[in-house]
Order: sequence, then C-alpha cells, then structure tokens
Amino acid sequence: MMGENPYRSHNARILEVKELTPREKLYTLRFTDREMGNFEFKPGQFVIVNLKGFGEFPVSLCSPPTRKGYFQLCIRRVGRVTKFIHGMNEGDVVGIRGPYGNGFPMGGMEGSNLVLVAGGLGMAPLRSVLWYAIDTGNYKHMWLFYGTKSYEDILFRDEVLHLLKHGPSMNCTVKLAYEVETPSCVYLERGFSTQVCRGVVTDLFKGEEFDVEDTYALVCGPPIMYRFVIRELLNRKLSPGRIYITLERRMRCGVGKCGHCVVGTSTSMKYVCRDGPVFTYWDALSTRGLI
Amino acid sequence: MTLKYVKLHSENFDDLFNYLTGLGDVYAPVKKGRVHSFQRVLNSREADFNYTRTMLPPKKFFIKPKEELFRPKGGKWIGEVEERTLILFGLHSCDIHGLQILDRVYLSEPADPYYKARRERSIIIGMSCIPDEYCFCRSLGTDFAMSGFDLFLHELPDGWLVRVGSVRGHEIIWINEGLFDEVSEEDLASFKAFEEERARAFKRELNREGLADILDLAYDNPLWSKYAERCLACGNCTLVCPTCRCYEVCDRWASSYDAVRERRYDSCFMESHGLVAGGHNFRPTRLDRFRHRYYCKNYFDPEAGFNCVGCGRCDEFCPAGIEHVRVLEEIRGSLR
Repeated sequence: MMGENPYRSHNARILEVKELTPREKLYTLRFTDREMGNFEFKPGQFVIVNLKGFGEFPVSLCSPPTRKGYFQLCIRRVGRVTKFIHGMNEGDVVGIRGPYGNGFPMGGMEGSNLVLVAGGLGMAPLRSVLWYAIDTGNYKHMWLFYGTKSYEDILFRDEVLHLLKHGPSMNCTVKLAYEVETPSCVYLERGFSTQVCRGVVTDLFKGEEFDVEDTYALVCGPPIMYRFVIRELLNRKLSPGRIYITLERRMRCGVGKCGHCVVGTSTSMKYVCRDGPVFTYWDALSTRGLI
Repeated sequence: MTLKYVKLHSENFDDLFNYLTGLGDVYAPVKKGRVHSFQRVLNSREADFNYTRTMLPPKKFFIKPKEELFRPKGGKWIGEVEERTLILFGLHSCDIHGLQILDRVYLSEPADPYYKARRERSIIIGMSCIPDEYCFCRSLGTDFAMSGFDLFLHELPDGWLVRVGSVRGHEIIWINEGLFDEVSEEDLASFKAFEEERARAFKRELNREGLADILDLAYDNPLWSKYAERCLACGNCTLVCPTCRCYEVCDRWASSYDAVRERRYDSCFMESHGLVAGGHNFRPTRLDRFRHRYYCKNYFDPEAGFNCVGCGRCDEFCPAGIEHVRVLEEIRGSLR
C-alpha cells in the first residue's frame, strides 16, 4: 500500500451548470469527500479536473475564496475531455485535485489599486480576484478592462453588466471592448458610452488615471494580448514588479514532475504549474519564453 | 575491520552475486546485439560487465516507459505498485548521478508514490568504468559517485575494492563478512593507478565556465537552426537520457467497462509537448524544441544541480550524429 497519492482526485458533485456562451459553461461544484471539507484556495490557483476514463485537464478556479461551500470552474469546450464534461448535468460527480500553483499575492496588494486586464477566457481567474477584492473590501479601487470578441462571448455577462452600472458604488470601474459589432453591442455602447467601445483592450486605458506608486496590474488573456497590455502599462511607468501575469501551459501533473510546462533557458528554468502560474513581469523579463 | 572500504576477491564475486539474487530480482548489463541493456540475470555469467553504457538508462526501472497509474477496483479508482526488491548491479557513476537528479524531482514534495516505492525497494551496486570517446562526465563532476549507491565496486587486478554507501550496503557486507577482506596498501596503490588511468582516458571535455549565461545570450544564434535542421526530431536523445523525465498521461479503455490511466514517456521533441487546448503551441517549431532540450539539460538548478551527467548516450544514439558537446562548444565559439 502506498501513502498519499498526489495524483488521486477527490469527488465533487456538480451543483449547477450554467451556459455562459455557446462554448463556455460555468460549473458550480462542492466536494462530496468529507476530507476535503476544508478546501481552501487563493485567487489565481487552478485545479485539475479528472474524468475517469476520459482524462484530466487543468482549469483555473473562477469563484472567489470568500464564497464558502462551493467553487466554480469556467470550462470552454475545446477538446475530447471538455466535450465530455459539457455533456454532464447537475448531480453528476467529477474528480478534482488541487489547488495547484501560487495564485495572486492578494495579501501583499491590500490597500492598493488593482487594474485587472482580461481578454477572452482570461476573465475566469480574474473574476476570482475581482469578487475577492469586492467581498473583502481591502482594496482602494478596482478597474476591470475586459476585451471580448462580441456581446455573445462576454463571460459572466450578467455580472459584467451589473458592474457596468453599479460598479462605482463598489469602488469598481468596469470597461468593455468588443471586436465584432452586433446590435447588442451597439445598444450597450449607447447605454454606457464612456465604458464600452469597439476596439481592443488597450483602448480602455484611455481616460483612466491611476497612481503608479500604489497600483498593481493583473493581466490574463491570450498570449498575444500580454505584449500590448504590458507596453501600455510600462508607458505609464508601472514597475515590472507590480505587473502580474497568469499563464497557460500544457499541464499533466500540476506538481512539477511531468515537464510539459517547463519554460525558460539555461539561466532560468521554471515550472509554470509549481512556480506559477502567476508571475510578475520581472519574471517574464528574466525568463525567456515566458510570454 | 573498517567497513567503509573492504576488498572483495575475484573468487568471491559470484558468492556475493548469488547472495543478491536471493534478495530479489537482479538486473545487470547484458550484451544484446551491438548494445548493452539492463536485463534480469540469474547468475553473473549472463551479465557482461565490460561495458561503457547501456542504451536505456536505469531510469526505466523507476519511471516505466509505460505504466498504469490507476485502475478501477471495487468501484474505486486504485493506484498500486508491485513490491519486488530490485537490485541494479553494475551501474556506472553517471547513471547513479542521473538517478539522484531524478530523485530531486520525483521525491520533492509532493513525492511521486510510484517512483518512491520503487526507489525505496531498490539496491544499487555501482561499478567502476573506463570512459570511451563519448563520455564527458568528468567535466560535469559526475565521474565519481559519492552517494546514491549501496555498494560501489572498483576494479582491482585481483578483485574489487568495495565502497559502502548506505546502511543497506553495510548490512550486505555484515551478513557476508566471510567474503570480504581488509584493504591492503597494495590494493590502494592499484586503486590509485586505476583512477589515474581512467582520468587519462577521457577524450571529451565540456567547458562549463559561464555556459548557462552564454547559452541564454545565444538564444537567437543561427547555429541553433543549423542543428535543428539536421535534427530528425525523433526524440531518441530524450529516451536514452538518464535525466529526461517528461511524461504524458492518458486514459485507455481496457475493455468496454474498464478504463486504465496510463502514463508513458513523453519527449520535448514531439510537437504536442507544448500544445495547449485551443491549438496554441508554445514551442511550435523544431528549432524551439531543439533549443528547449539544450536549455533544459544545461540549466543549473541551485537545488537540483546540473541536469546533464555526461553519459554520452544522446551522442551515441543520435541518428543524425548531433553531438551534445560539439553543439555547445560551437555556440560558445560563435560568441567570441
């Protein structure tokens, strides 16, 4: 018999399935294993979902740790295993192991401004940060800049629309950039002309001023987005140590063994799953191939 | 009798070997065709200790090329490992260092339970060697094993000088006390002569001075693409490398009702190694993948040490004839 097997997953029941977009579904889960009753995580960490007989995939936790008793995963249908989980219903049981990764250093950022820059599915880990920040109330002001393809692709649309309107009362400014013009977008732009525009996510920085000495930027999105967002942040003289990025890689084990997520060169090898997935921009400067 | 160093006379070698076969499965180098391979042997005559390197390193005993992680049993998903004592006889110093590098990865928290169980029930008997034209372990400091073995046999004209490296090794000596003798002055002289002869036999050197930074600075060097074009991306070098340890996990249906989760070796030369969901590949070209392996092997981890042990396998078994040391030396040369 062997000791604790780190590759063993724990059963969790799907409490709710919500279709966010035609491709993405939001799963609300709770552990049925009694030993996982004290499951705790940090915003930015991820879990590995295990569907016995189909395989495993890593996915970031998108609910804030302040909401107890459940956790949420936003899953896009992209392959074999995610297609299978998209066919599962409320009441079904999946395996979960984790949480893995370092997560965002939320404690160290307390009392400062947060600029959250999300692109597409990058909204998922940042939603955890956003609601954590709103729930705890320990942060000065939050900006959420969200770049999306079209109105139909907005993840957590009801929350985003709610925050567009009521954000200021929660110290939160939400801005939205869309690429494809549809009637819904035009309608939205007409309603929130200062907050919604057609363009890319960097366009949303216009007209927003924040104190670079007291601001942290948290960026998550497709690989191409980082370069432009970081250029914008650096133009505003935000220190590379205050820019946090969270990265995606192929991950099989989640604990720094399988080797797929290794990045860097001979001076700077890192495992994204163990040393990340959250890095500062300084890490990206000193580790080639990170972004 | 001091038990850190003892002498084993040639005529007692078989008795020690037979004692070990009684403890569990003994694996020793066996000549198969043109190469050597670690195979299960029942007596020392089956083994051929006059070898430089086997094709597959001893990592194959601890991380299997293909192994089952989980299997459903009684409605549960169970992971088990078999419990046979494994005796690896005749490992060279580089392979012992290779296992120690794997240890630092697989036994770091959280430890891999499959690797750990196999490692704990293994007995490692090292053996001295004479390097050939591919060996460059001396440049990496892996030419002499200071730990990581139970017994280490150094060749003497009339037997073996045995170094004891663990309590387990000490117990083996203790139980078979009659087989061993004290080390004489003459044996020490022969040991010294052997080591000196061995040191002279090295033909290949790797200059490690500032290598990590030189490679990092040479990221865009055209030499990488020159070699990447020659490279067949077959992944041979990762299979034969004693420290390459990437694995892939997949679920396979054993029957209509049973699935098993298996893991198998993966190689960073495969296109799928850096592929993520949605089709983005973080290492899309062969150049990226070729360079990645060199960076991985030449990374000096302050905790885990250097990732290459200089065994020369990737050179000997590369079908395109790409030589590790030569690539690195050319990169260094191009910076001057």
